[in-house]
Amino acid sequence: MAQSKVALRADSGLQARMLLTVFLLGAVYVVLLAALFASGASGVTIFVIAAGLFLFQLFASDKIALASMGVKKVSPQEAPELHAMIERLCVQADLPKPTIGIVQTSMPNAFAMGRSQKAATVVATTGILELLSPAELEGVMAHELAHVRHRDVMIMTIASFFASIASLILQFGFFFGGSSDDDDSPGILPLILVSLLVYIVSFVLMQALSRYREFAADRGAAAITGRPSALASALLKISGTIERLPMNDLRSHAEMNAFYIIPAGAKKSLLNLFSTHPPVEQRIAQLSRLEAQLQGAR
Amino acid sequence: MGFLDSLLGRTKAKPPAAEDRLFALTTAYITLETAHGITTRGKAAIVFQPVATADFDGIVSEMEQIVRGTGEETGTTLTVQEDSYGYRWMILTDPDVEDVVVGVNAVSDALAVGGYGDRVLAAVFAFKDARDRSLYLIYNYKRGSWYPFVPASGEQARDAERELQLKAILDKELPLEPELERWFPLWGIPI
Repeated sequence: MAQSKVALRADSGLQARMLLTVFLLGAVYVVLLAALFASGASGVTIFVIAAGLFLFQLFASDKIALASMGVKKVSPQEAPELHAMIERLCVQADLPKPTIGIVQTSMPNAFAMGRSQKAATVVATTGILELLSPAELEGVMAHELAHVRHRDVMIMTIASFFASIASLILQFGFFFGGSSDDDDSPGILPLILVSLLVYIVSFVLMQALSRYREFAADRGAAAITGRPSALASALLKISGTIERLPMNDLRSHAEMNAFYIIPAGAKKSLLNLFSTHPPVEQRIAQLSRLEAQLQGAR
Repeated sequence: MGFLDSLLGRTKAKPPAAEDRLFALTTAYITLETAHGITTRGKAAIVFQPVATADFDGIVSEMEQIVRGTGEETGTTLTVQEDSYGYRWMILTDPDVEDVVVGVNAVSDALAVGGYGDRVLAAVFAFKDARDRSLYLIYNYKRGSWYPFVPASGEQARDAERELQLKAILDKELPLEPELERWFPLWGIPI
């Protein structure tokens, strides 16, 4: 059988950067763990609390997020076109059908939630449904399904696990460390310093990882639909509209930004370092390269 | 999709299943007809995503010529239609089930040889039961499996009870899709 034309060549540079980021995150967290154990029992307590938080995040946070954003689950009868479109994309991506939700807001956006492929929810706003043409919407939905397929929610939750431990130590470190009079223990202060460092470094690394995964989801969408330019055109429309819209309730959910197709309230930030998403121009440039690959103009 | 593919965020549209079970229908339909009164409505279709590239258009028009050419001997006729979701349907009409299966296979083969095998969504075969109610047998190329699809009256409604009855009948005859949540409906089937 011939090599698929649309199975676009892997971007080895992107994958190398992703691996490096994951490796660096791991290294940072090993430092934190070492500091935790060096500081004695109080550190272990924090670790246990954080593990509990992690499980909570994994199993409940998506439901809380969906509820707080006012996501309404829609049946095939309520949104027949959207359901049919996603069903076909699921066949193409070989995914089980996710739950489909809609948020009533003029802000054009979409996101995917859920810890596993079977527990996934894909959400579109009424704004995006009105704004985009069917082919563009298909590109955006394929991007969200690529997130589901790459298990991005799970991966980002795991990646942020130790960062949340570090932030816990920063917030409650003195409280936990107060009773530690053990002479063998180096005390709580070094731990707090290490935690601060870990928190800062892991934050930057996680944002980088998130950006790489956006690029990967764009590529995935192109592979699923075979139409990279439709997604590029959708990104242009969405970013143009988001910049024009006034402050909107969706923007108050800043913690959700990592999951949006384009983060709400995205301003051209001087420090790309602190952004969950790559700039739209870079994403469109990648999609143009994919279209060129597809058209055989390599 | 392996662990590393997840970690590195690699998606490919799934290629057709390694084991082609499309031809299972050519033996199964005889039992369906004689034992269960399920007969062909003489129509089948293969649905795929058209890709806007020059070589894709070339492959498709070449393939249409081939299917039309062989159709002159077998009596299979071909029509092409695009649906509202942007997918293209190649509809084959022939009362002989074996001929339409061969025709559908010729289309998917031509796409696969041209490097577009992963664009094929499904093949759909129109049947009717003893009481003249229509039903579809859908072949999912990605998974190499079959499932029945019975649209009911009303927008995007399906007769799940009837589908499950058919599952009981078809289980012995065709390699059915074991996961019911992957029995994806196809709305607006033009046959």
